[in-house]
Amino acid sequence: MWKWIQRQASPKVFYQTCINLRSWFFWPFIGFIAVGLYWALMVSPADYQQGDGYRIIFIHVPSAILSMMIYAIMAIAGGIGLIWQIKMAEIVAKVSAPIGAAFTIVALATGAIWGKPMWGAWWVWDARLTSELILLFLYLAYMSLNSAFDNPRTAAKSSSILAIVGLVNLPIIHYSVKWWNTLHQGYSVGTGGLKDPDMLIALSLMFVASIFLYTTLVVIKAKTEVLIREQNARWVKDEVQGVIL
Amino acid sequence: MTMVEYFSFLPYGKYAFYVWLAYGVAILTVIFLFLNARRNHNIAINSLKNKYSRGND
Repeated sequence: MWKWIQRQASPKVFYQTCINLRSWFFWPFIGFIAVGLYWALMVSPADYQQGDGYRIIFIHVPSAILSMMIYAIMAIAGGIGLIWQIKMAEIVAKVSAPIGAAFTIVALATGAIWGKPMWGAWWVWDARLTSELILLFLYLAYMSLNSAFDNPRTAAKSSSILAIVGLVNLPIIHYSVKWWNTLHQGYSVGTGGLKDPDMLIALSLMFVASIFLYTTLVVIKAKTEVLIREQNARWVKDEVQGVIL
Repeated sequence: MTMVEYFSFLPYGKYAFYVWLAYGVAILTVIFLFLNARRNHNIAINSLKNKYSRGND
C-alpha cells in the first residue's frame, strides 16, 4: 500500500491510476445517489416540526461537510507538495479547489432556500453562515492566486501557503453553532440531531455519494492537469497525439 | 399567485417550491462540474496538439 502511494509521485503512473480509478468512483456515485435520492425523497418520513421542507438537509449537510473536508484535503495535499516537492500532490490540491468551491456554493444556496420558509429570510449574518461564506472566499482566493503565476511550481507554493493559513477557518465553522448562539440549528448527527433511522440512512447514503462524486471529479480533472504540467515529456506527446477528438 | 402556491401541486405541497429548487440547484451544479471538466480536457488536448504540430517541443 505504502509503496503504491509512493509510486503515484511519478506523473505517468499517477495518470494511469486516474484512468483506472475513474469508473471505480463514478459508478458507485451513480448507485449511491440513486438509492440516496429514493431514501431522501420517498422513504424518509416528514419532520414533526419542519414538515417536508427539512428534506433539503439531505443535500445541504453532505455538501457542507464535503466543502470543509475538501478544503482540508486541499491544504494537506498542498502541504505535502511544499514539504516533499511532490508535483502530483500539488495537482490534487489545485483540482480540488473548484470542486470544493462548488460544494460550498451548493451548501450556501440550499441553506438559503431552506432558510426562506423556515426563518423567513434567505440570509442572516449568523456565525455559521458567515464563516461558511468566508470558506467560499478562501476557495476563490486560492483559485485566483493559483492562476496568477505563469510558473506552476511558484503558483502551487504560494497558494498552498494560503490554503494552510485558511485551515484556521474549519474549526470556526464546525464549532460556530456551539460557541455562539446562532440562528442556524445545531448538529444534525449526534445528540440533538436526527433521530429517525430512515433519515439517518438517507443522510449517510447522500454523504457517501458526495464523497464518490468528489473523488470522480478529482481523477477526471487531475488527468487533464497532469497532461498540461508534463507537456514536455515524451509520453504526454504520444498520449495527446493518440487522442482523436 | 406566488411561486410557492404555483408549485404546490408537486409532492411536498407548501414546501414543494423550496425542496425542488434546492435539489435542482444541486443537480445543475453537478452536471456543470462534469461538463466543465470535459470541456477543459478538450481545450487542453487541442492546445497541446497545436503546440506539438508546430514542432517546437
